[in-house]
Amino acid sequence: MTRLAIVCPGRGSYVEAAMGTLPAEHPWVREAEELRAELGLTSLLGLDRAERFRAAEHLRPANVSPLIYLISMLDAAEAAERGRTVAVAGNSMGWYTALAVGGALSFRDGLRLVQEMSLLQEQLAGGGQLLYPLVDEEWRIDGERVARVESALASSGGRAQHSIHLGSHAVLAGDDAGIRHLLDALPPVDQGRVRYPLRLVQHGPYHTRFVESVSARARERLADLEFARPRTTLIDGKGRRHTPWSADVRVLRDYTFGAQVTEPYDLASSLRVLLREYAPDRIVLPGPGNTLGGVVGSAVVRERWRGVDGKSAFVRMQAGDSPLVDSMRR
Amino acid sequence: MSTNRVAVVESRIDEYLRSAAPAARRLAPEERLRDGRGPTAREAVELFEDQVLSRTLDVAARDLKRDGRSFYTISSAGHEQNGVVGTLLRTTDPCFLHYRSGAFMMSRLRKQGGSTPAFDTLLSLCASKEDPVSGGRHKVWGSDELWVPPQTSTIASHLPKALGTAFAFPRAKRIGFDTGLPRDAIVCCSFGDASANHATALAGINSARYSFRKGNPTPVLFVCEDNRIGISVETPRTWIRDHFAHLEHLRYVEAEGDLVDVWEATARAVRACRDARTPVFLHLHTVRLWGHAGSDVETTYHTLAEIEAIEAQDPILANAKLLVESGAATPDELAALVADTRERVAAAALEAAERPKLASREEIVAPLAPYREDACRAVARTSRASAEKRAEIFGDKLPEERTSPTQRTLAAHVNAALHDVLAAHPHAIAFGEDVGKKGGVYGVTKGLQATFGPSRVFDTLLDETSILGVAQGAAHLGLLPIPEIQYLAYLHNAIDQIRGEACSLAFFSKGSYTNPMVVRIAGLAYQKGFGGHFHNDNSIGALREIPGLAIAVPSRGDDAVKLLRGAVAMAEADGRVVVFLEPIALYHERDLFEDGDGLWLADHPPVGEVLLPGEVGVHHGEARDLLIVSYANGLRLSLRAAKRLREQHGVAARVVDVRWLAPLPHEALLAHARECGAVLVVDECRATGAGIADAVVAALAESGYGGRLGSVRAADTYVPLGPATDHVLVTEDQIVDAARRVAR
Repeated sequence: MTRLAIVCPGRGSYVEAAMGTLPAEHPWVREAEELRAELGLTSLLGLDRAERFRAAEHLRPANVSPLIYLISMLDAAEAAERGRTVAVAGNSMGWYTALAVGGALSFRDGLRLVQEMSLLQEQLAGGGQLLYPLVDEEWRIDGERVARVESALASSGGRAQHSIHLGSHAVLAGDDAGIRHLLDALPPVDQGRVRYPLRLVQHGPYHTRFVESVSARARERLADLEFARPRTTLIDGKGRRHTPWSADVRVLRDYTFGAQVTEPYDLASSLRVLLREYAPDRIVLPGPGNTLGGVVGSAVVRERWRGVDGKSAFVRMQAGDSPLVDSMRR
Repeated sequence: MSTNRVAVVESRIDEYLRSAAPAARRLAPEERLRDGRGPTAREAVELFEDQVLSRTLDVAARDLKRDGRSFYTISSAGHEQNGVVGTLLRTTDPCFLHYRSGAFMMSRLRKQGGSTPAFDTLLSLCASKEDPVSGGRHKVWGSDELWVPPQTSTIASHLPKALGTAFAFPRAKRIGFDTGLPRDAIVCCSFGDASANHATALAGINSARYSFRKGNPTPVLFVCEDNRIGISVETPRTWIRDHFAHLEHLRYVEAEGDLVDVWEATARAVRACRDARTPVFLHLHTVRLWGHAGSDVETTYHTLAEIEAIEAQDPILANAKLLVESGAATPDELAALVADTRERVAAAALEAAERPKLASREEIVAPLAPYREDACRAVARTSRASAEKRAEIFGDKLPEERTSPTQRTLAAHVNAALHDVLAAHPHAIAFGEDVGKKGGVYGVTKGLQATFGPSRVFDTLLDETSILGVAQGAAHLGLLPIPEIQYLAYLHNAIDQIRGEACSLAFFSKGSYTNPMVVRIAGLAYQKGFGGHFHNDNSIGALREIPGLAIAVPSRGDDAVKLLRGAVAMAEADGRVVVFLEPIALYHERDLFEDGDGLWLADHPPVGEVLLPGEVGVHHGEARDLLIVSYANGLRLSLRAAKRLREQHGVAARVVDVRWLAPLPHEALLAHARECGAVLVVDECRATGAGIADAVVAALAESGYGGRLGSVRAADTYVPLGPATDHVLVTEDQIVDAARRVAR
């Protein structure tokens, strides 16, 4: 049976093309709508069926997070039919989805976690995230760019920090002064029709000490969240494995509300562990958009997995008989 | 019988998990396995994962070997309870592990987020250059981040360095050196029951006890994994216990029985070592499954019944039963765990087998002997004690201002240079037999202990193996050890500590680990009135063949200072192991041609001046009739001979001091040889492979140098007592005669 690994996307993944795809009668959609109603929040189906995409509304953290969660969960359930899932990972907010996909949280608790965290994040004043590429057009590490990032962080006086290690890109975060400093300090790069550094709209300084208040409040508000042993091995943002047989639910809870929130999220390490220790036949990317396609591709290149040593080779492999990465909504 | 015992053992586990019934009561994850003892249910399952992973990798090694894709099948199968030790130690407890440490390492690597133990091991089995430990140079267990310097460990030669690390750790703290380890760290060292009989193992254990008896905290945990057999030779049933259970200054803890018992015993042993800072001997009972290695046909020395009796004690099976019966896990859960592990290892193995191998000689030897001349010169230039510090140490006259003959001998210069080295490098330590209080049998270390204190300059017990073990351990912690071997002949019972251990470390760790040190060895012949072979040994063959080792040998006092600085710089800058060979007979020599001429005395070179490999000493550079190549005592004899050749025979001989016996300065010698057209190598070491003559002559011959060549060497014999030595050692007359023949 095909051995699948699932990698759940983060908050930047929602795209207009995802609209109009929620199955209204699905029990998860109904459950989500109930919770949204309880909290007095806009209907997700309403957002999904809206006449047009409105960034201010669709990308509002408290709206976009549960939308991504819901679509990712539906996709992951569909993917599970295609083989046997051997490991689940996620990027940033995708960790919450991974907890639910892997069975460490129920669908509802996963949704509550996603919803609550997004509401807490909305309350954050100031700061943000930006994106800067570390690889060249062939997805190979560009040492000079890495050095630029380190130097920009070093000269920020602690106002900016690493937020997510994607491997292909640095996600950096800071308070307002920190972000301004990074925008000044990082020389512009044009790559793939995008100009970097790219400020991420409506994103706070996640995965840094700047969001310690979120960590504390989430612990308090979600004290009743029930963590269980996962059904499938989870790989967290520190590259640690939590297996169905020995996962410590206390560690899962503590990590989810603690280090996951306030320390850099190391997706690169997570993907490395996923490839090397699980060697899946297929890496499935559920959820809207395809933000992780290049990230996972460059992880494959970094590991020279299946001999893939650059973007061109990756594209060739993907076009061949046994593509490694399956982006469900590409 | 089935010849595939791997399949038999594997199927027994599967069969049990298929047929077993779950326990009536499920243990809560944090409930201990039995009566509040042993690991919690969750910890036990976690350990079981590590043990199964280790076992699965052992099976994969054999599968890959069958297809010619792996190259190592000595397994950890049957030893998986060592995962308990791996679990209960901290990643800041340095570990020196033997080759059956798979489960230990799986448990240790689990503690590090982002680690990839399965894939790393597979890369290592397949000798891929991407193996993070040795880069494809050996299948060794190691981790740079988790304090596991890789060991080859086949002959228990890693015990002395474990003792050395435990000994040096509190000492480093005393001298204010930060090792980066917590105050209560302990050192762990594992080995088998058969290798516990090795002299080296016994030396390590003996020295640990001795150290503790002398009042030194010596927190070393010796883990003897007793599978009761060494390849095909059985260890008597109670031999390990008989030997080690009743030794003073060594706590003995026996770990026998099921997982709960092993867990409790191990915890007790670790606690004793950590709390009491005492050497502890953990006797861990294991079995060895599937022979010594894949190539070992066990049926040549065991009957089927014996093999089956061993297999019946399989710890994986025993632990599976315990987990199921205690309610820590259900049979289905464990079966899923096993299946998942087998599947993912099989999938990862396919990838690992395709990873690139070492493909050139350059690539293979790259970590062996790094040498960055600029970095060495920078160390020599910048590592100096302040003027105030030097004034405090040397008093009113600095070494370079001294004029008294007794202060201008080679021994006096080495002594002053050592003072300078210890002053400039606060993490340098000097030690050996009689080095401390007495100041060395020839006074070379006189005053060092008084100046720098007994924490940095100290006497050791009379065991060269342990002296070199302490050096390695200290170096691992970041100190700069300068051990002394009292006589060259004494080195030979301990030389594997340099050959198999210290010099191989950078190679087998692809340069991640180094153990920089400068080993001072007093040696070579020509001592007047003090003789016998063991104080006049004239063979350096055993040193010269060691890959990566640098050997400096001074003949004059000023050179000695600069060479010692060069040796220290190489150790500091590039992590090198350097032997500094001191010619005893020249320690106190003052004269060159006539009594009282004082021509062998020298001025102390200014601080910062240094001699590095390739820099030869040239005497009579204008002479072109003949080139004499020599070193140490041979150099002095050659200079005397050159005078006679010039005055009595009209032969102008240029004399070159090679100064470095490894690496040899072939380029410089070739240039001089071409200018002179005739070469005589004067080698005071024994004729056959004991010195440098063979290598120098061969290199010149192969380089295209077309001139005449000859050599004089000592006889192939041990050195006799008294005046009889003249008949076997190289003499001035021999040099003159040979020179005339070669120069013609």
